[in-house]
Parts: sequence; C-alpha cells; structure tokens
Amino acid sequence: MRQLFEKLKTASLEEIRGAKNADALRQIEVKYLGRNGEFTVLIKGLKDLPADEKPSAGKLANEIKIALTEAIRGRREILEQETLAQESNTEFFDTTVPGAHYEIGHIHPISQMQYEVERIFGEMGFSIMDGPEMESEYYNFEGLNIPATHPARDMQDTFFVKNKFHDFHGKMVMRTHTSPVQIRTMERYGAPLRIIVPGRVFRYEATDAGHDSTFNQVEGLLIDKNISLAHLKGIMIEFLTRLFGKPIKVRFRPGYFPFVEPGLELDLSCVLCNMKGCRVCKHTGWMEFMGAGMVHPNVLKAGKIDPKIYQGWAFGFGLTRLTMLKYGIDDIRLFSSGNLKFLNQF
Amino acid sequence: MKISLNWLREFVNIPHDANAKYLAELFTTKTAEVENVYDEAGLWKNIFVGQVLEIHKHPNADKLRIAKVSLGKKTINLVCGGNNLREGMYTAIALPDAMVKWHGENEYTELQQTSIRGVKSEGMICAKEEIGLEEGVQPTGGIADLSAIKPEVGAPLAKALAKNDTIFEIENKSLTHRPDLWGHYGIAREFAAILDKKIKPLTPKIKFPEKGRQIKVTVKNPKLCPRYAVVIIENIKVGESPEWLKEKLRAVGRGIHNNMVDVTNYITELLGQPMHAFDLNNIHEEVIIRNAEENEKMITLDGKTRTLSKDIIVISDKKGIIGMPIMGGQNSETTEKTTVIMLEAANFDPVSVRKASFKLDLRTEAAQRFEKHLDPNLVELGLKMACEIILKICPGSRIAGPATDIKNFNTKSIKVDLNVARTQSMIGAKISMPEMIKILQKLEFNAAKKSSNIISVIIPSFRATKDIDIEEDLIEEISRMHGYDKIPSILPELPTKLPLENIERKLKYTARNILSLGLGFTEMQSYSFYGAQEISSSRLPEELHLKLENYLSSDQTHLRISLVPNMLRAVKQNIYSFDTMKIYEIGRTYLNGSEYFPIEEKYICGMIIESKKSGAGKIAEAKEIFYSAKGALDNFLESFGTPDLNKKRATNHHFYVNPVKQLVYTNADNEEIAKVFEIHPAVLKNFDLEEVCVGCFEINFSKLALMGTFSRKYKPIPKYPEIKIDVSVIMPEEKTVEEAYRIIKSADAAYIANVELFDIFKDKSIGAGKRALAFKITLRSDERTLTLEDMNKIQKKIFDNLKHSGGVIRGL
Repeated sequence: MRQLFEKLKTASLEEIRGAKNADALRQIEVKYLGRNGEFTVLIKGLKDLPADEKPSAGKLANEIKIALTEAIRGRREILEQETLAQESNTEFFDTTVPGAHYEIGHIHPISQMQYEVERIFGEMGFSIMDGPEMESEYYNFEGLNIPATHPARDMQDTFFVKNKFHDFHGKMVMRTHTSPVQIRTMERYGAPLRIIVPGRVFRYEATDAGHDSTFNQVEGLLIDKNISLAHLKGIMIEFLTRLFGKPIKVRFRPGYFPFVEPGLELDLSCVLCNMKGCRVCKHTGWMEFMGAGMVHPNVLKAGKIDPKIYQGWAFGFGLTRLTMLKYGIDDIRLFSSGNLKFLNQF
Repeated sequence: MKISLNWLREFVNIPHDANAKYLAELFTTKTAEVENVYDEAGLWKNIFVGQVLEIHKHPNADKLRIAKVSLGKKTINLVCGGNNLREGMYTAIALPDAMVKWHGENEYTELQQTSIRGVKSEGMICAKEEIGLEEGVQPTGGIADLSAIKPEVGAPLAKALAKNDTIFEIENKSLTHRPDLWGHYGIAREFAAILDKKIKPLTPKIKFPEKGRQIKVTVKNPKLCPRYAVVIIENIKVGESPEWLKEKLRAVGRGIHNNMVDVTNYITELLGQPMHAFDLNNIHEEVIIRNAEENEKMITLDGKTRTLSKDIIVISDKKGIIGMPIMGGQNSETTEKTTVIMLEAANFDPVSVRKASFKLDLRTEAAQRFEKHLDPNLVELGLKMACEIILKICPGSRIAGPATDIKNFNTKSIKVDLNVARTQSMIGAKISMPEMIKILQKLEFNAAKKSSNIISVIIPSFRATKDIDIEEDLIEEISRMHGYDKIPSILPELPTKLPLENIERKLKYTARNILSLGLGFTEMQSYSFYGAQEISSSRLPEELHLKLENYLSSDQTHLRISLVPNMLRAVKQNIYSFDTMKIYEIGRTYLNGSEYFPIEEKYICGMIIESKKSGAGKIAEAKEIFYSAKGALDNFLESFGTPDLNKKRATNHHFYVNPVKQLVYTNADNEEIAKVFEIHPAVLKNFDLEEVCVGCFEINFSKLALMGTFSRKYKPIPKYPEIKIDVSVIMPEEKTVEEAYRIIKSADAAYIANVELFDIFKDKSIGAGKRALAFKITLRSDERTLTLEDMNKIQKKIFDNLKHSGGVIRGL
C-alpha cells in the first residue's frame, strides 16, 4: 500500500512538472485527484486495510494529497505566469491610438506674463498696486506734469467719457497709462515706495497689427533717498534676466516724458538674435522696451512727497508687447479677440 | 524729420571717415532717436557708369538686344530691352549684388547674374526708377541716359553724380521738447557738443536800411504773437531756384516750388523757424495779427476753402485774411507776376497753433514747429538770412526799407543753480564738477563754479524754450552727455521688507487656477467697450451706461456694465470651429454712481456653451446646461474657499437672464455675490446663437474677494465602514430635489452621512407631471459598524418618508 502510494506520488509529481499547459494540468489533476482519479481510488481502498495500518496509511495519504495539491497549484501559477508573459509579448497593441482626452483650460497669455512680472518684482520687495481704469484728467495728466496744453492731451490719444466733469479733476478719461497710480499711491502711502502697477490702459488711436486701443502696461516706481538711474539699470537687468532666463543687457538713451526728468528710453539686448542683428531689432541688436526716468519734482509734489528729501525713478513698459515678444505673436489684436484657436495655445 | 549730413558739415567739422551708422548711434544715445540712415553711396554699391560700345541682336528675342558695354577697365556683355539704347550712350550699369528695384515693386532686391532667353547677362543696364534716381528725361521703357553729363566711364555712379550725402531720419516725437533741433543748425550744434567740435556761428552780414518802405503791423493780442517781423523786398524776379538750393530741399524731402517759397523753406529746414513770403501787391494797406471771426473763411495755399473759428490766429490785411501761421493764403501767395514781397518771420502761441492745426487737419511743417516754444530770437536771424539769400539769388532785388519787428516777449535769461552732489546722487555716477561744467559749456550754457558744490548756469535762449528751467533739466543734460552707457548698473541697498500684500490680486490668480487648470475653462479678454447694438441685443438698459465722447467704432461706444455681451460675441465667433466651449473672463465693469468716479467692479463671467447640433448638445438640452454652469460655480466656490452663500431664485431678474433658469447667490448682508443662469433665448437669438445652449455664471469678484475665504479644518477620517444604498423614487415634479434630500435625511439624521442625486428620469411610463429621482445614500455611524439590520431599518424609514410625500419607490 505504502509502495503504491509512493509510486503514485512520484509518477504524478513528474507528470505535474511536465504539464505543458493549463488544460494538461487539469487533466492530470482529474487523473489523480478527480472523483475516480487514481489517488482517490487508492484512498477509498484505505477502509479495507487492517485497523492497525489505517492510521499511518491515512496520514501518508493525506500528506501525499497535500503535496499533490500544492504541486498542482504551484505548476498552475507558473503556467499562468508563462501564459501572461507570452500573451503580453505577442498580443497586437496599437500605441499610436490617441490617449483619452482630459480637458485642461488655458490662462490668457497676458495673465500668465503678468503673474511672472509680479512674481519677480515681488521677490525684489515691490508691492503690487492697482488703480481705476477710468481716471480723472487730474490724475492722468496734470498731476503727472502734463498741463492742458501738452500735445499728449490732444483728442487723438485719449478716450473721454461723456458728461463727466469735476471742478478739480476735470473731465473723465480712460487712463492712457498706468502712471496715475503713481500719484494715488504716493498720496496714500507716502515715501519711501517700491511698487509696480500692472494694468489695462486705453489709447484713442487707429488699430492695426501693432496697435490696439486697449493694452496692458506695467508701471514701476522706486522712491527713497539717494535712488539713482544706476539703480534703475540694476533692477531692470535683474528683472529681465530672470524673466527671459538668460543674461540681458540694457541701454539707456534720451527720451522725453513730461513726468520724468531726466527722461529716457530703455532698450534691451535683442532676445531673438542675442544682438547678432535680426529683422525684429532692425539689425541694431537692441529692442525698444520702455520709457523711464527720474520722477519729476512736480509729480512728487503732486503726490505730497518732498522732492528735496526723496528722489527716485519710474518706468512704464508694455506688458502686451512683452507677451508678444515672448511668444512671437505678430498681431496685438488677437489678445482681445476671444479667439479660442489663439487662446488654446497657451 | 530728415537731416542731411552734408548740410550739417557746413557748420561743424564732422570727420569724413566717420561712419554714418556710428554718427546715428551717437545721436541716438546722446540726443534723440535716429530711426533710419540713408546712405546714397551705399545705396548704389556695385552700380557704375558704363558706355555702350556695340549693340547686337538677341538670337532668341525680338525685343531684346545684346549690348557690349565698357566699364573703363573691362568690357562686359549685357542683355537689354530698353528702347532708347544706342551706341556711344552713357548709362548706369548694375553688377551682381547691386540693390535694384524691379518694376512695380517697392523694395530693393539684390541683383543676381542670370541668363535671359539663353544669353548670359553680366549685369543690368538700369532705368532710373530701378535704382531710385530722381525722375528726369527718360522715354517710357527706356534706360537711364547719362550722356548729357559725360561722366567718367567705370566710375561708381554715386561718385559720378556727386551723390555722397547721408540722410538721417530722426523720430519727431523724441524732439517734442527740443524746438532747437527742428532745423539743421540745431542738430549741427548738438553734434558739435557730442564730438567736441566748434560750431560755425551764423552771422548774416545784412543790414536793414534805416529808411524806406515799411508796412504797418498791428498785433491785436500780444499773448498770441510774441514776435512778428516783416521786411519788404522789391524788384523780385520769381523763378526757379538755383541747383544748390533745390538739392538741399530735395535731400530733406521738401518739394521744389519757386525761388521765394524755396528760400523760406530752406530757412525752416536750417533754423526751425518757419517763414512766409507774401506778394505785397496783394496786401491791402496794413497787416493785422488777430483771431479769426467765427465761421470766417479763407482759401489756403492748397486751394481749399477753410472755415475758421475764433481761437485760430490769422494774418489779415484791411480787407481780410491773407494767411495763417500754419499755412499761407492763396490770395497773397508769390507767383510769377510777383515783383515785391513782404517777407515774414514770426513767433506764435504754440497752443493756439496746435489747436488750429488739428482743427483744420493741417499738419504742416510750419505747424509742427510753431506748436513748440520756438526761440523768438530766431525771428530776426531767419529774416536776415532769408534776405541775404534772396538778394544773392535774385540779382537786382533790394530791401525796400527797415524791418518792422514787434516784440512781445521777455528777454530775461533763465538762471539755474546745479547742485553737484545731488546730480551725482540722481545719476548714480561720479562725475566731477569740472566735468559737469565742461559738458554744460559744450552745450553753450554759461556755466561757472559758484561754490564748492554749486554750479551757476545761465540758459541760452535757444534752450530756454520751456525745455530747460529747473535743476533736473540740467541733470538730464549732464547724464546724457556724460553718457548713459557710462552709468553703472547697481542694485539698490534697500531694507529687507515684505511688500504690502495685495490680497485681491492673489485671489485673482487663485480664481484663474481653479477655473483654467481645475475646471477646464479657457480665459479670454475682451474690450471694456461695446456698442448700442450689443446693449439692445443683450436687453440691457442703455441709460445705465457711461458713454465715450470719442470712439473708434460703433461697437465701442459704451463702457461695459457686464462682461456678457462681448463674451457672447466671442462665442459667435468661435462657434463655427468649436461645438463645445468653456470660457471665462475676469474684467472690470464701469457703472455710473452718485460720485464723480464711477464704480469699477471686477467680475468673473464664465460660460459653458454647447451646440445643439453636436452630440454633446443633445445631452445638454436633455440635461439642462444650467446644471453644468451651476456645478462649475459651486465647485469653484468650494475650491476657492468662499464661506457659505444663500441661494435663491430671483424674482426680478431680467436683462439677458433666462427668468426661469436662474439662481442668485447672496452673502449674509443679502448682497448679490454671484448668479448662475441660462442666457435668455431672445438674447441668444439676437446674437445669432439660436443653435447653442449657454449656461453662464457671473461672480462679483470685488465682493467675493472681500468676503475672504474660510480656513480649512481637518476632520477625522471615519473609523467605521460605510454602507451605500441606492434609492429610486417617482415623485411629483414640483417636489424639488432639495425637498427630497430633506425627506430622506429626516429618516435618520444620525446615520445618514450623505445623500447624492445621481439620476433624473422623465418618461411616459412614469406618467405626466412626475419624474424618477435616483439617490445614492451613505450610511455611517461614528460609534460602531452598522449592521444589516440597521441598514434595513433605515432604508424602510426612508421609503416610508418618501411614500408619505407622494413618492413611489421603484424596483419594489
């Protein structure tokens, strides 16, 4: 009996090991452990054994049954793994089918640029200020040392609002620059000041690919004791280099704005050709970037700051133009067009 | 403004080897922007004088011929189609790399060596227009014929024609504050200072006679005419100007007229002082400078009748207007018949001139100069120099008498003290006092040391033109002449201080991130304006709007009080390309309040758009796009962290809001913070958007930001497992989902953790006026694991409650 058991064990284990696939293994399982399987039949025969042999034979039979069951389970696992491995290797799968669509929205390119600008200046300790888009003539002009007779006051530049007049403030205009916020901030906080003012501005002028009646500017103002043009250079190089992620040079040249004296224009080294000369920089290596200068004493006075104690500079650059430059956008009107074919690119 | 380098050289010794680009760069960095540099010699590189030796037939073309042309040292063969080609003729030959302009084109291109109809051409015989030569006698279809001047064969064309000038084009706006730079002499003076050279003084030798013919001049309003001077010149012969004069005017882009007009234009280009020559025989008795009468008419030199107004300055005689500062009158112009002229140089009130110039749309050269504060001293200089030239080019002419010169201006010079230490501190560069004095002196300021730290400066009259009158103005002179490039780049040493926090701005970026990156909306921006059409299409009341006095187009006349109209326009624009859209804008609205300054509020407007035509649209119609918008708004508010808002349907909502599908969100003070709605079908029709469903939400962002955000608190994760049960119930339609929630929750407030609607279903099988609502209900206890028994008990209670409220439980 014991021999029979052992023989069956050896044979069956060998067959299990040799099973080529799941079907073969199942057949082996049936052959030995099925209802009429060879092993089942043997166990059934135990009851005919003498009583003193029954316990040891029973124990052995049980051990072998466990061994077989375990071996079949083990072999099945191996075969399954093999099958999976094989299937994964041979199954045709087209990876070029596009992935599922997840809709992610887009932030307007000007908002993105504004965020960058605010972040960099914020890191240099500049506060972000805001002011009304509908401004009085006083804040937009007189306070900024642009008297009523100045050419910039002409109708061709400024949108005027109907039926709005104030004895002190004059007519109401759509602000033509972010500079009025200079005075509003000076009045509110006094000196020293370290601010930038990004915002929407308006010009009453014909639109084309390079000009729009609405665009965004960033005003900057640094007022303290002993603030100089050298500091303007320093801050702007720092800002532009961080913004473009590569060293940027700046140069000053004379420029005229009534609210600064000295007044200047700041050019930056062409970010497209790195000063090698290209169509965009008109082969000069420089790109016009912004107007700036030392705040005119009349402006400081308008902001209730004593020009004998405090001095500083202001600048204003086109956020819209900067965005065009960064992305190579050739038509300014796209920004306000609401065209999704444009907006979805950012 | 165009400036001729050759002309400048008459006054200042600019080295001939100085590169024109370099000079332009110098001027740009020290004084004003030079926009363009035109170099005549450079323009004609590789173009030479050639002489035609032989002409042969072209083997393959009837209209073309082959010319053998001598270039002096060598002879080349060219294919030519010019009909005036003849042997022995001198002409212009362009060789490869020369810049030529093809017929009908505006831009110059590089000439390439080519074969024409199988015959190689080593260059091109040029027509005048192909190389930008001035129009001259040249038959149609012909080539440039230089035979008349017999130039040296083989010489560069520029040299042969003595074209060696360089023209600088200076950006006018950068000269706004510098009237002294509106003529060549001023530019020459600036170059002299930049290059540290001497400027040749202008010293007209002419003396006006003490006796003789004079005309009576009356200036009615001295404020409007600080200086007015005239002199009479007799025995004039009006005719063509001499070549040197024409050449100068041509170089700076001025037209050529007669010698009298040309001389006055020459003085304008030289000094920046406009002048005018009147035919004295057409002036009646006297000259009066006055304001025009309202609606007074005159015919200007250009032949147009102008209707004037009271604020316009005119020059009049006994009978009527003979001219204006900005343009002369036709009735007094110099013609071939003129024999005696009244030569005028004057100085007018800049503001009046500017206003008149815009009112009449006459932006003349004179207007552009008179509208700046010109130095009144130029009047005398200009008058003398013009006389000198006229006497020279009009032999026999003579000055008839003393000049009449009315002066209404202050001759006192301006003195300014310059603080050296302050100057250094403003510029941020160590410039010494002697250096500063030297710079100022080069610019013809009278500068001298007053004390150890102060330079006393007297401003020359040509800069005392509202240009320089305070210390800061002198600091600008010092910094630009010292060199902006020499100013170091320094980071300021400022205290480490956190900037003021702009909470609204911070929240705006949060809002953008949630909307764009979380909810999948795309941000757009639109104009702050729209027009009457958009207002009526949106059913907005026009009277609430502020209007522009001047506007660019009829769809930009009113200040927006809502972002909706412009966004609907954007929807219309995009709908052909996109079946579905999710867009938003964050922008201001402008509402007239009781104060002078209007109320500017920032709004967020979001729209979900689905075309009814698309598959998605079918769902939208079935599911109601209102709920999509509501979901977006609720999710936004939750993520943004807005404290709870009350929601209720407004009874008075109108404009573009669908009166049924709308919900208003208010804060504790009952202020409207947001609303969600579908666009009114009539408005959609007005915007030609009948084929789409638009769900919309508007958030008053200014108010939302003021509410702040709730601070999030951690809640312990439930310890015991939850059980989910689904309940589907048929309810009468008027039972709202909110009511159903309440009914379900009342079954067991302690164990019902959450109720969520997951389906609404309407069908004939359910019956009219009814709908099936399906809920997923989460049961949980904080104290123990709920048993099956608990679940059955609660479920039964829920069923009972629903049945009590008229519900029929489905699937039972």
